[in-house]
Amino acid sequence: MSERVGIIGIGQSVFKSRRDDASYPDLVREAVAIALADCKLSFDDIEAIVYSLSPDAMVGIGNAERLGVDAVGARGKRFLRINTGGSTGISSVAAAFYHIAAGACDVVLTAGADKVGECGDSQSVLNKIWDPTYERPLPLGTITMLAMSAVRYMYKYPMDEEDMARVVVKNRAHAARNPYAHLRKPTSIDEVMSSRYIAWPIKLFDCCPQSSGGCAMVLASERYIKQHGLDAVWITGVGHSSESYYMGERMGDKVKADHADAFALAHSFKRAFVMAGIKDPAMEVHVAELYAPFSNTEFHAIEAAGLAKLGESPEKVRDGEFSLGGRIPVNPSGGVLCTNAIAVTAMVRVAEAALQVWGRAGEHQVPGAKIAIASGNGGDHQFFGTMVVEA
Amino acid sequence: MRNVSDKRDTPARCGVIACKSVVPFESKKRSLEEVLYELTQSVLADGGLRIDDIDGIVVAANDQLDGRAISIMAASGSVGGVNRDILSTPSSGEHAFVLGTLRVASGHFRTQLVLAWSPMEVASTSEALRLAADPYFHRALPMDEWSAHALQASRIEAAVPDSAIAALHVVAKNRRCGRLAFPNQAIGSSDPDSIAASVPFRWPLTREMIALPISGAVAVVLASDDFIAERQIANPAWVRGMGWAAESAYLGDRDLVSLPGLASAVEQAYRKAGIKDPRKSIVLAEVADTTPYQELLAWEHLGLSGRKTWKHDAIAGTFAEKGKIPINLSGGALSVNPIFCAGLHRIAEAVTQVRGQAGDRQVPGANLVVAHAASGPAMQYNTVVVLGRSSGESE
Repeated sequence: MSERVGIIGIGQSVFKSRRDDASYPDLVREAVAIALADCKLSFDDIEAIVYSLSPDAMVGIGNAERLGVDAVGARGKRFLRINTGGSTGISSVAAAFYHIAAGACDVVLTAGADKVGECGDSQSVLNKIWDPTYERPLPLGTITMLAMSAVRYMYKYPMDEEDMARVVVKNRAHAARNPYAHLRKPTSIDEVMSSRYIAWPIKLFDCCPQSSGGCAMVLASERYIKQHGLDAVWITGVGHSSESYYMGERMGDKVKADHADAFALAHSFKRAFVMAGIKDPAMEVHVAELYAPFSNTEFHAIEAAGLAKLGESPEKVRDGEFSLGGRIPVNPSGGVLCTNAIAVTAMVRVAEAALQVWGRAGEHQVPGAKIAIASGNGGDHQFFGTMVVEA
Repeated sequence: MRNVSDKRDTPARCGVIACKSVVPFESKKRSLEEVLYELTQSVLADGGLRIDDIDGIVVAANDQLDGRAISIMAASGSVGGVNRDILSTPSSGEHAFVLGTLRVASGHFRTQLVLAWSPMEVASTSEALRLAADPYFHRALPMDEWSAHALQASRIEAAVPDSAIAALHVVAKNRRCGRLAFPNQAIGSSDPDSIAASVPFRWPLTREMIALPISGAVAVVLASDDFIAERQIANPAWVRGMGWAAESAYLGDRDLVSLPGLASAVEQAYRKAGIKDPRKSIVLAEVADTTPYQELLAWEHLGLSGRKTWKHDAIAGTFAEKGKIPINLSGGALSVNPIFCAGLHRIAEAVTQVRGQAGDRQVPGANLVVAHAASGPAMQYNTVVVLGRSSGESE
């Protein structure tokens, strides 16, 4: 339908390393309660729920969304779960969007939570995403996977470890202004550079934290929003794209999707931009929330979004173009580098993009932001979801 | 995928234009990716399609049964997901169908490939499924899905006199159909006495009252009305109505003989399809039957038979092969149970009937068919799809 889909309510936890005070469903409910209060609706107003949960193993419960049915008020209502790995959150918002765009519902809730900080070791879980015969025994983890991307990026473009550290410094400074962020302590290039190596060239401070917390969003049809006099911002572009499963297919000089870059993320953005009517994102986009769990990955995310040409983003980060106060602030919330509750991390990207164009981002508000973009990455840097949110 | 300028103003009518199942699939000589690749090629061929015709993909699988942390990942290449919009609904296979239909109806996609699969390589299915139980209260009991289904069966037996007799006849009916539908597959007993006398499985279910899980993979292609018209596709199964809903998480919070979620799913689907008297309009049905008691609840909620008439309808054969409204002519999950994709299998069997491709079990004039799928412990998720030979536009 041509009718627009709006975001009318947002709820997110204050993310932390642990939430011993809340069970997994409690965390989901916490975010849902905040989102419903934000749009002044009750469970009775919600027609469908899209549940956002990435690997079951992260919470130690098979099909853990079943235990979340009551937390999201889905008893007797339309309910389904999305999982595309780290991009699950933005994929869930997209699924909720399609419920409304199809004319099936007027008001849809999407919600989830994660307890990554309490799962033992997320890298042990994430090793199990790979092919059990060839890649799992290496052993691969998401850090080693994206360390290879960093090495490849350094080979192709002018980027060094100090450039990576500069991303961390930028995002920590942003997170210091965001009360919901997990890592809010500012840092310095020296401190990042002196942190221990996890998988060269990625050091401890180049890595995202393991966070616990939830996020929820309420979406509604334009008709419902107008009928009820609600305040909203609008989802004007939605896109997804995927790369191959085997990372070896992204390595070498003749491959279509180079592991240095983010081939499918660029295609996903292209789809979202076509839908939103954006022709030159570097000139039209005011703020970006891009999924980048390791400092080096923010570079190719910026380039895939069309905010810089391939290989040029490190220089632009050096120049402060993507800092708060710069030309196009990237991750003013602090981004995934400062908060990563995997099941909802990509939803937080959309939520933060929405808060920016709504003018409700508080201390990390980008003045005058009217067009924001968000992205999510999942699998072995394989699934990518993108959105354009406008005031 | 559509460009913005092509975007339509009204929801697209959606039809199933291709459908293939492999139940069970060969897993000793095939990797999962090979199975999925071959199924994808097969379903595309069934619709006279090429992968370039597919705008988007929705898949569903279960991490615990697959032995992978994000089971969608392996599908990316094998189902043609590279550089395509692919999503996953691990809550159930039938939810992939729901989301695929919504995506076509939204007007943002003209086609969707929908797949669900269920390998059978775990050492213990029961243990894999037990991981889904609440870790504090239920997992230690131990509570697996079979135990939850059995608790539901015992509740039904307590609430509805003679339901146990009706259940035995449901098993017998479905097994008779299953032998025709799956002649190469070992199908359990269709003799009510021997079904009742077989060894206990989970009380009150006997071993012959269920079919142990086998592997399976199911694929369908959904398309918009304008794609169907443009390609002049002759026999789509139109999605006339669709409903889906969930029950509470904790069995203690539910009355297992009452399914408000299923009632909601039926109401959504029938309202959209304009069905007021299902006993008059529905030609046949494929319904969830992991246990025969599930099928009895489906009879009731779909408006085909009330509790007081279960026994009569079961013995009289109202829903048998030659009955008034045949139910589970495919044999249902009581004959072959591809566990995680059993729900999408029900929908696929209904599609096959509407498209007139059911072979020996084809019902002439199957112009309005209902499919019901249930997943999770004691039918926590219910999905109802009404499929028709006509799009309903001019009705």
